[in-house]
Amino acid sequence: MRSVVRPLVSVTTYRRWTFLLGGTALLVPYALIYAGLLQILGDVRHGATRDLLDAALMLAGFVAISSAVAFVPAVRILCRTAAETLLGVRLPEETPEGLRSWRSRRRTAAWWLLHIGVGGGTGFAVVVGLPMILFLLQRPFAGPGPGRRFLGQDLSLPPVWSVLLALAALPAIIYLGAGVGALFARVAPLLLGPSPADRLARLERQTELLLERNRLARELHDSVGHALTVTTLQAGAAVRLLDTDPEFARRALTAIEETGRTALEDLDHVLGLLREDVSAKTPQRTLADLGGLFEQTRSAGVEVDAEIGDLGAIPPVVSREAYRIVQEGLTNALRHAGKVRVTVRLGVRASRLELEMTNPAGETAPARAGGGRGLRGIRERVTILGGRMSAGAGDGRWRVLVAIPVVWSAEDPSSAGDDGIEQGSVKAR
Amino acid sequence: MTDVLIVDDEPLIRTGLRAIVDAEPGFAVVGEAADGAEVLPLVRSLRPDVVMMDVRMPAVDGIQATRSILAGIPEPPRILVITTFENDDYVYEALRAGASGFLLKRARPEEIIQALRTVAHSDSLLFPAAIRGLAARHAGGREAERMRQARLTEREGEVLELMAKGRSNAEIAGELVVSVETVKTHVGNVLAKLQARDRTQAVIAAYESGFVSPS
Repeated sequence: MRSVVRPLVSVTTYRRWTFLLGGTALLVPYALIYAGLLQILGDVRHGATRDLLDAALMLAGFVAISSAVAFVPAVRILCRTAAETLLGVRLPEETPEGLRSWRSRRRTAAWWLLHIGVGGGTGFAVVVGLPMILFLLQRPFAGPGPGRRFLGQDLSLPPVWSVLLALAALPAIIYLGAGVGALFARVAPLLLGPSPADRLARLERQTELLLERNRLARELHDSVGHALTVTTLQAGAAVRLLDTDPEFARRALTAIEETGRTALEDLDHVLGLLREDVSAKTPQRTLADLGGLFEQTRSAGVEVDAEIGDLGAIPPVVSREAYRIVQEGLTNALRHAGKVRVTVRLGVRASRLELEMTNPAGETAPARAGGGRGLRGIRERVTILGGRMSAGAGDGRWRVLVAIPVVWSAEDPSSAGDDGIEQGSVKAR
Repeated sequence: MTDVLIVDDEPLIRTGLRAIVDAEPGFAVVGEAADGAEVLPLVRSLRPDVVMMDVRMPAVDGIQATRSILAGIPEPPRILVITTFENDDYVYEALRAGASGFLLKRARPEEIIQALRTVAHSDSLLFPAAIRGLAARHAGGREAERMRQARLTEREGEVLELMAKGRSNAEIAGELVVSVETVKTHVGNVLAKLQARDRTQAVIAAYESGFVSPS
């Protein structure tokens, strides 16, 4: 029962009615334009009979004229604001590129037509209905004369019925607005919300930012945790030896001071990075920039043998992340094996981007099970992109294998693994 | 005298630990190593009672070093894993490899000494809450199955529970009101039935199978 009455008393209903009446207000100038045009058309044709083609042409003309204004990007902003405030829907934010895209403009046009067509039409119910209701209500009390006539017609309705009709019509109009308004609220996110492509782009950016922040947070945790451990231990030792070995205590205090200072510098650096809008300032590198990366690596003393296949149709996100993976792989090689020769093979096979990086394991090969920070970064990226990776030493060489699907597909998981690559995990034991 | 070997790649950690251990009567640091690769020859020549072992080291990590000590040396020293962070899966791997306990590097000096004493002079294990939590996280059906197939007697189950609480044989004997020899027999049976190489492995199996729960 309450849910039946609610539309009558809900503020939302009346806000939505305002929205519909807005459509009516917009409809008026258009109606004037159409009336004018019809007049001219009629004059030109001397009242010739209208056939089907004429009707279709006129409809097309209506649509073109009515929706033209909606192709201005600013109108989309206006529509979104109106929908959010008057219809009470929350529309996910839209990027400036999304706002200007033709797909969005077409959707704005559809919304605009609906607003002035369906919304405006519904609004007429109020424009016509309210005076009608007033007329019906006053009718029993009006004497004979103009008060009993409606639009020049004499109504033969008994006075009681006219009051009852008026009392029934009022809630009917309100319900009508509530229903049509709810319909508009449903459609608004589809036509005024960000497009799927826009949402994807946003997600991608968020993922990148998150990846970057995760990495920074981890580094911060590692470095600050390490520094605090060193200072705690040294301080504990210094307290114990303060009287018996003041020289040790002095050294410990110096170590604490220096460790603390270094940790703070680290903290400053990372917090600075976190505050920056990473995506806005640094241009994203892709596989097309590999040449520069190899040059840079060579100048650091690491020889790079690159074998790059055709990388034509790789989605931008895969291209960017693959660049980062190669970058981290090269950094790892330098860090763990020193100035060695690294072989990089990259190519697309069976709709997967396959990357193999090998280098001599050297004496200080990464022996950590699960790998260090670099490998973790690679694994994180690979997992997010739905790919697989493996890393490990064999025959005196350190080898990292990565495979990332180039097209998203629900691949049969049982087919995975025969290439020796595990899902998102690292074999290094 | 308890001889201690310190293995850590960070010099400041080594000097700090050395100062604390050396200052304690009855304890002496007999050597230091900066990497797991140096540990085996040092253990052979110095014969320490306890090795304080860092987990993450650049070349050979603490897990591998622990394995090679326990496999390659008759009557090996007890191994106390030292670590910066308690929620570290590597630490868990080191315990699995047979280390007797784990200690946070930020522990108070007296706690450090107490930990050394515990692992050096008794057969009890050092399993702080964090490690018990890690063990429970590693829980899997395979371990539970192994525990079922072991068919421990009720008494053996009690002994395993007390082992998991870090009790030494003497303490278990006291609680169950039996002789230490009897406890030793029970412990031996538990290890054999669980196919565990040592006490640590048996206790880890107890946690992973859900036989005891971390609390």
